[in-house]
Amino acid sequence: MKIRRRDFFPLAGAGLLAGYAGWEGMRSRRNAPAGPSPVVVLKASSYSDDLAQRILQGVRECGLDVRDQKVLLKPNLVEFDPNTCINTDVAVVAAAYEVFKALGAAEVLIGEGPGHRRDTYSIVEMARYREISKFDDLFVDLNRDDVTAVEKFADRNEMYFPNTALRADLVVSLAKMKTHHWAGATLSMKNFFGLVPGSVYGWPKNELHHIGIPESIVELNRIFRRSFAIVDGIVGMEGNGPIQGTPKPVNVLVMGRDLPAVDATCCRIMGIDPAKIEYLRMAADGNLGNVEESHIEQRGEKISEVRTNFALIDSFRGLRLS
Amino acid sequence: MADSFLGVRLDILRRSQNPDGGWSYYTGKQSWLEPTFYGALVLHGDPAADRAWALIKSWQQPDGSWPPTAGAAISGWGTALCLTLAHIRGEVDGSFLKGLAYLLKTAGTESELWRRALAKIGLIDPGRNLSLKGWPWKEGTSSWVEPTAHTLIALKKAYALLPAPELTERIHSGEALLLDVRCKDGGWNYGSPWTLGEDQRSYPETTALALLGLQGRAEAASSVDLAKSWLRDTPSSMARAWITIALRLHGVAVPDTTSPAKGSGSPDLTVVALEALGAPEGNYRLLKTEKA
Repeated sequence: MKIRRRDFFPLAGAGLLAGYAGWEGMRSRRNAPAGPSPVVVLKASSYSDDLAQRILQGVRECGLDVRDQKVLLKPNLVEFDPNTCINTDVAVVAAAYEVFKALGAAEVLIGEGPGHRRDTYSIVEMARYREISKFDDLFVDLNRDDVTAVEKFADRNEMYFPNTALRADLVVSLAKMKTHHWAGATLSMKNFFGLVPGSVYGWPKNELHHIGIPESIVELNRIFRRSFAIVDGIVGMEGNGPIQGTPKPVNVLVMGRDLPAVDATCCRIMGIDPAKIEYLRMAADGNLGNVEESHIEQRGEKISEVRTNFALIDSFRGLRLS
Repeated sequence: MADSFLGVRLDILRRSQNPDGGWSYYTGKQSWLEPTFYGALVLHGDPAADRAWALIKSWQQPDGSWPPTAGAAISGWGTALCLTLAHIRGEVDGSFLKGLAYLLKTAGTESELWRRALAKIGLIDPGRNLSLKGWPWKEGTSSWVEPTAHTLIALKKAYALLPAPELTERIHSGEALLLDVRCKDGGWNYGSPWTLGEDQRSYPETTALALLGLQGRAEAASSVDLAKSWLRDTPSSMARAWITIALRLHGVAVPDTTSPAKGSGSPDLTVVALEALGAPEGNYRLLKTEKA
């Protein structure tokens, strides 16, 4: 039985009675694209550029059709520090909202469950997200949304997720291009940590660390497979990311439907060997997406033209792409 | 009263109570334990609080713990909130003792014997004292500041009725754990004062919660000044509410920031309840604990 997320609410009552077995159907359909995965790299010199035009170009290049779909935009908003660039810039979020609305999506929401800080609205305020028109009507605090259990998550019998994320037809990972002191890099796939509700698992979402960071990244991306990635690499973060690193201008947006392919491309741009990033190895081994360069159809800018090596902490020096 | 800082918030809470007696985080959603706990504290003595308690009590799980919301088969930190509320309501019965037993048997996994052994022979550097036992958000994970602080409040209240050595031991160990994970700047974040050798900054809301858990401990005094500065500077209405409650319980005069009586600006009902709790005439005293 295949259950689409949009079928979720009409079936919710039956689902509560029958358990959550239907979700397995969603996960079993996860396979890497048969052919090469298109990944679009577009230059943007600053957040003042016409980002909507670039995102529209990226969406079209990837052949994404969102008409009549419920779209959830998932930015990276783990916490806020005015001295660095932890979060997906508000300009990228606003532009993505504009594009998906213009493309005929039935609903476009913005949702995030920050991993460290309790006061979600304070973070969205500090990150200037509330400058987006009617933001409070569009935003869902995924840490405190109503939840439903999904059966099997790594070695756990079940995992709870926000209903807003489960019922979305498309989750758009609006990630930030950053190094990560545990995972090596945090890009579109790890951004899904914010889909795990703090109200159930706490702040931080320590359950994911106990399961294993790479394992959790892969599992989250199996569950939320109907996804699209837009990585904010206009200004990324190098060094001791994802919180205490240093701003790193790269001046690109990286987009695609195959999230492992997008993340692998971002790694190459950052001067990181994606084959040495454990979650990407697991994603490739699990047939979740394409990671090898030969299986990625690069569109827009060539990697060699935008590559800029990100500073790596000592323990990750070995990740450097030759 | 109706137009006062507290009155506005009481009105919001009364109007937003769900038909089942609980509160959601945001109006129109399902009832959750955390906002229901704070709603019941704010309206303590009101029939609305009785309805909230009746709902919460019905959620207790066979192992004595409470889940974060109805039907979520997760044992965890909300148990401490329920014991605190039960004590405040004078409902110390079999259900309370079962919950207490659950908290006493639960500890963060970092204090497990094998981890302590690895740390002792130098194979891991946890950067903290693994012999200290705190509490996790969810059973089977590590200890963190917030669940430890909440459990200390619950256990200290229980200790006033049941002065058992097991309680004293866990209270002292939990307090020591909080002090052990205090950040270099004098406050607390979620419970990780450093990562990969770099000091981490503290947060206002978790600093306030740690201070609540450390009521009666002289070592907490040095963090009170930081909390006072947070009260002035933080843009977070949730953090301001928590700091106000913590400072009042530490006997610090808190400047009157309760006018105008407009809403908090946050649609989170937990923030509304915390602001009401910390109002000068609010029920913050219900979270007062004595030294064990």
